Amino acid sequence: MQKIIYFLLSSLIVFSACSSNKQQTLTIAAAANTQYAMGEIKTAFETQFGQEITLIFGSSGKLTAQILESAPYDVFISADLKYPQSIYDQGFAVGDPGVYAQGALVLWTLNPNLTPDAGLEVLLSEKVKKIAMANPQTAPYGVATEELLRNVGIYDQVARKLVFGESISQTNQYLTTHAAEIGFTAKSVVLSKELQGKGQWIDLDLNQYRAIDQGVVLLKKGVERHGALAKQFYEFLFSDTARKIFEKYGYLMPK
Amino acid sequence: MIDPEPLILTFRLALITTMILLVLAFPIAYWLAYSKFKVKAIAETVVSMPLVLPPSVLGFYLLVAFSPSSWLGRFLESNFDLRLVFSFTGLVVASVIYSLPFMVHPIQAGFASLEPELKYASYSLGKSRWTTLFRVLLPNMKSSLLTGVVLTFAHTIGEFGVVLMIGGNIPGETKVASMAIYDQVEMMHYDQANIYAFILFAITFAILLIVYMVNQRYFSSRTI
Repeated sequence: MQKIIYFLLSSLIVFSACSSNKQQTLTIAAAANTQYAMGEIKTAFETQFGQEITLIFGSSGKLTAQILESAPYDVFISADLKYPQSIYDQGFAVGDPGVYAQGALVLWTLNPNLTPDAGLEVLLSEKVKKIAMANPQTAPYGVATEELLRNVGIYDQVARKLVFGESISQTNQYLTTHAAEIGFTAKSVVLSKELQGKGQWIDLDLNQYRAIDQGVVLLKKGVERHGALAKQFYEFLFSDTARKIFEKYGYLMPK
Repeated sequence: MIDPEPLILTFRLALITTMILLVLAFPIAYWLAYSKFKVKAIAETVVSMPLVLPPSVLGFYLLVAFSPSSWLGRFLESNFDLRLVFSFTGLVVASVIYSLPFMVHPIQAGFASLEPELKYASYSLGKSRWTTLFRVLLPNMKSSLLTGVVLTFAHTIGEFGVVLMIGGNIPGETKVASMAIYDQVEMMHYDQANIYAFILFAITFAILLIVYMVNQRYFSSRTI
């Protein structure tokens, strides 16, 4: 019995030591579509400033809900402007959201029997049973996809084939497991190291959907917890180094 | 005010799953309760796995297994034109697996709690195995059956992780109430999420309450 108590006490000490350590590092909440680019930005920031950061990825909506419930995040990197704006409006951010990059859509398939080169007509083919896209109710890339399909005029024809991922990551999951034959995802995904060269993808016409303005806010929690360091990271996202990384992953830069 | 479709879909899924499991779990529970096979431990482990596996693990396995690139998915698609990812049928199959222990365990415990004399008395009076099962054993374990049915139903209503992984959130097909709540929270429509959540809370509370009350009365009336 005594041994068990000693064990519990010592593990308590070990674990509390771990959590107090975390206070030193910045915690960044970032939209799922940015995960590949953010990995590289994290490394660049850490080597330049010698400060560690922790990245937490999720759909912008879920992260927003967490921030509004006082989640311990320092900076919020969203997939659109709506969510960071509402965080600012409700008093959780120190300033208006800034646009750090613009997201682009691609049509992507891992099915060897399909070629997307001819354009969106491939979606009407009988070989395509399911088309994966992000949920337009919760994911900015889903909004852009729906806009594109409606502008091209094939939304009603393909509506029965559409399946919805809760975020761009889940949409990718549907595609990489071949559960859906083809789908719409972020360009940053198909240009990532992990997925480069897998399957086939095409760019989509920017006249048929609006490039997705992706906003970032510095959270009040971040300034409270880390002061200048949080601000430093926020500004780093607009630096030349960061812009080059975002461009490399297929993002467009705001003019 | 809110779209009732996800709620209807949830209850339809729970009802169908419960009916299938009642038929399916019965022989499994009977076998587990009475068989003395060595492999029984393995079978019991397999049946209990959905209790301990995170729904995301189960959902991930099912997503891969149901996908048309796996042998199972390909077999079902080429022979029966059936695709289990992103379909209501797929959710039913997943729910049957996911809720299996919730039906098997109470029934198995019910069989185990019956005095063996009951069975032998019936046999010695010349009754067949089937008659013994349906006329003697089952009437003596009604409360176990009820517990199994209700737990399965309630557990299927509460299903989320597996549906998230294999459902594809299609309105009227795979967008069940737990998915609708998740979406409403993400859209910051907390009022709508609250309505769905409260309805689910109230109904599952009522179901469990009724079961516990019925079970209590059943047992107390037996002891008198």
